[in-house]
Amino acid sequence: MSAAGSVMPRVSAILRSRPFLTVAVVAAVWIVAGVTMRGFGAFGHLRYLVELAAVIGLVAAGQTFVVVAGGIDLSVAAIVTVSAVALPLLSLPGDPTGMSAVLATLALSTAIGLANGLGVAFLRVHPMIMTLAMATFLQGLLILIAGGTAISLDNPLVTWLGNARPAGIPVGILLWLAISAAVLVVMHATAFGARIFALGANPLAAALSGVPVNATTIAVYGISGFTAGLAGVLVLGMNGQGYVGIGDPYLLASIAAVVLGGTSILGGLGTYAGTMPGALLLVTITALITVVNASPGWRSILFGSLILGLLLLSGRESARR
Amino acid sequence: MTDAAPVLAARGVSKSFFGNPVLRDVSIALLPGRVHALLGENGAGKSTLINILSGALPADGGSVEIDGRAAARITPPEARQAGIAVVQQELSLTASLSIAENIGLGDYPRRFGMIDYRALADRAKSVCALVGLDEALSTPVGTLPLGRRQMVEIAKALYRKPRALILDEPTSSLSATETAILTALLVRLRAEGVAILYISHRLNEVMALCQHVTVLKDGGVTADRPLAGTDADGLVRLMVGRDPGDLFPRWQRSPSASDVVSVNGFSAGLARDIDLDIRTGEVLGIGGLVGQGQEDLLLGIYGAIPAKATTASVNGAPALPSSPPKANALGLAYVPADRKREGLHLIHSIATNLLLPAFARLPALTLRHRSAERETVRELAARFAIKGDPARQAQALSGGNQQKVALAKWMPHDPLVLLLNDPTRGVDVETKREIYIMLRQFAAAGKAVVLLSSDTPELVHVCDRVAVMREGRLVAMLDHGELSEEAIVAAAVGAERRRQAA
Repeated sequence: MSAAGSVMPRVSAILRSRPFLTVAVVAAVWIVAGVTMRGFGAFGHLRYLVELAAVIGLVAAGQTFVVVAGGIDLSVAAIVTVSAVALPLLSLPGDPTGMSAVLATLALSTAIGLANGLGVAFLRVHPMIMTLAMATFLQGLLILIAGGTAISLDNPLVTWLGNARPAGIPVGILLWLAISAAVLVVMHATAFGARIFALGANPLAAALSGVPVNATTIAVYGISGFTAGLAGVLVLGMNGQGYVGIGDPYLLASIAAVVLGGTSILGGLGTYAGTMPGALLLVTITALITVVNASPGWRSILFGSLILGLLLLSGRESARR
Repeated sequence: MTDAAPVLAARGVSKSFFGNPVLRDVSIALLPGRVHALLGENGAGKSTLINILSGALPADGGSVEIDGRAAARITPPEARQAGIAVVQQELSLTASLSIAENIGLGDYPRRFGMIDYRALADRAKSVCALVGLDEALSTPVGTLPLGRRQMVEIAKALYRKPRALILDEPTSSLSATETAILTALLVRLRAEGVAILYISHRLNEVMALCQHVTVLKDGGVTADRPLAGTDADGLVRLMVGRDPGDLFPRWQRSPSASDVVSVNGFSAGLARDIDLDIRTGEVLGIGGLVGQGQEDLLLGIYGAIPAKATTASVNGAPALPSSPPKANALGLAYVPADRKREGLHLIHSIATNLLLPAFARLPALTLRHRSAERETVRELAARFAIKGDPARQAQALSGGNQQKVALAKWMPHDPLVLLLNDPTRGVDVETKREIYIMLRQFAAAGKAVVLLSSDTPELVHVCDRVAVMREGRLVAMLDHGELSEEAIVAAAVGAERRRQAA
């Protein structure tokens, strides 16, 4: 009796939680679209959608950390591009696996994220300004280095990452699942995770409670740089070449996935468990719009409107304080 | 003079906030050509009374009279119409606007529907001359030092040619020269027949300038009489001297006291040149009027704001901690005054709030133990009698329970030095008593407790020693034997200096 009494509220809490609702919306859209549209429900098509969601999901993993900690990272798209363009350039001739180039690229993107964090923590620059300035700086650098040319990939590890399908499952999806598990553990089961929620909910109270605010801030932007860099490596593997602008779609997508998943844009509340179905929802919407067969301009307008509409339906925050 | 009709008066005014009475049956009458002093401790209801007189707040009961016409309430426009001007304690200036624009704000001279800047400049210049403001009228107010901004605020009130002028602690940020200019100005306005209400904690100013005094205490009038024949000590007695009742636990000296924090030549924020020893086994009170640097003293010792000291020893370490995490590592804990803004994470659960200092100190990737956490939360909630489900948001708690959470969360670390910033403000009587008992228990257990308080009786009855601060300096250190509300208030307002001079 008592056991059932304690389980029932928990079940209803899960049913009413934002991550679950987002999963339910994705499932409903898939079922309706699968029944009404030829080819949508095919295993190959759904697998492709999840593979696309993996890229958004990786970028949004770091974004979730930053947003929960009360900030925002507007440089993720530029970091994705930097990663996808720099990796072919960083390839060493003496390394047949390509591992060294991947590690160097991830170190570079993490360093960019840490630089964002240093600016926000020590220079007290607003996160929006800091990361936007960083994005602009990186874009300039990319134009100088890569110009308008696409840079072809010659790296066995990255090609494998973007194309291999052990047991029919793309490596990109496996990578996303592994990173997701790590993110969920760090966020909800470690002291560091508890600190970022405290920092986002009330930075002043967090500081007075002894939370190392600067170190925590730098760490979350470093994580965001790392996951954006990882997404860049994956998207490069899937594409076969890197070019300026390859990361552009992932800025709005990462923020939208975070917010659609129920994380408060004001910080302090949320979970990556919501961001994951949020990313799936975004690629699903994109796929449906593509089927409509409109011009790219109209597709973009439709995509923006749908995100706004979804947020109005589910994501409006109740006023705080 | 005495038979003139009051310009502005309150008759039997009452007001309460959220069920707490702030003013009870208060009457006051401002006569033309008289400077009327309003005295009272922090929280006695002075600001509320001003707000009612100026129409900013409606009274719950009683009436406000303008020129003998009574009204249940007046609106701010009506008050302005009647020539009532208020110089607020918290400045109401707009930093980005110029001196002239601030002075004329809300009452700009118009020409063809536009602001007539030439007329504004002329009128602003004449009132600036009155208060000795010689800065260019186009200077943005934000660039002025605090004392000059205060003079702009006064000029703004004069711009409206007031018949009744209310000044709420106008001299707290003024230099001696500026204070002298203001005093001369008020004497002249008095001669011109303006009714002036003057609020100040500086008793020598009050004695020099005012003719009549009203003393408020706990929302009631304890004196309303001519100032002639009263001395500073008499005024202090009127401001304090309530019956402490049995709110406080019986004071007992704790055994064995040794220094745990010593600072010499300590400066941080407003606090300057402070020599202080904090001892284990005692409750050290920090008193004084609000905003004399007490909070900066605590924050500086805690490493939350930049601080320097010629010598410092903090629990064996030879320097002040440079950040709160380092202070925590040295056994210091800080409970802020503003629970909602600084103390708690309102949108998080009570349990999360209670566990935060632990999360802050653990190595970053330490895995959490949910069952151990639940046990800690249960123990703390039971020990501090925190009511409510720990899974609920902290904002659902009452003020008293929130304060208990803010205090309880430090207990798992067993801090040696507890720095408490006004822990009983806005807390109900029952919780106050519980907190006092806890503080004495901490001291008895060999901890050092520092109690910054705006409540003088609690300093007298709970503390072993009380340090009194005025204008950033530590002006008196009173031992338990010499503690009294009169002694603390006298040190806080600088009355003892007058006594020595006399």
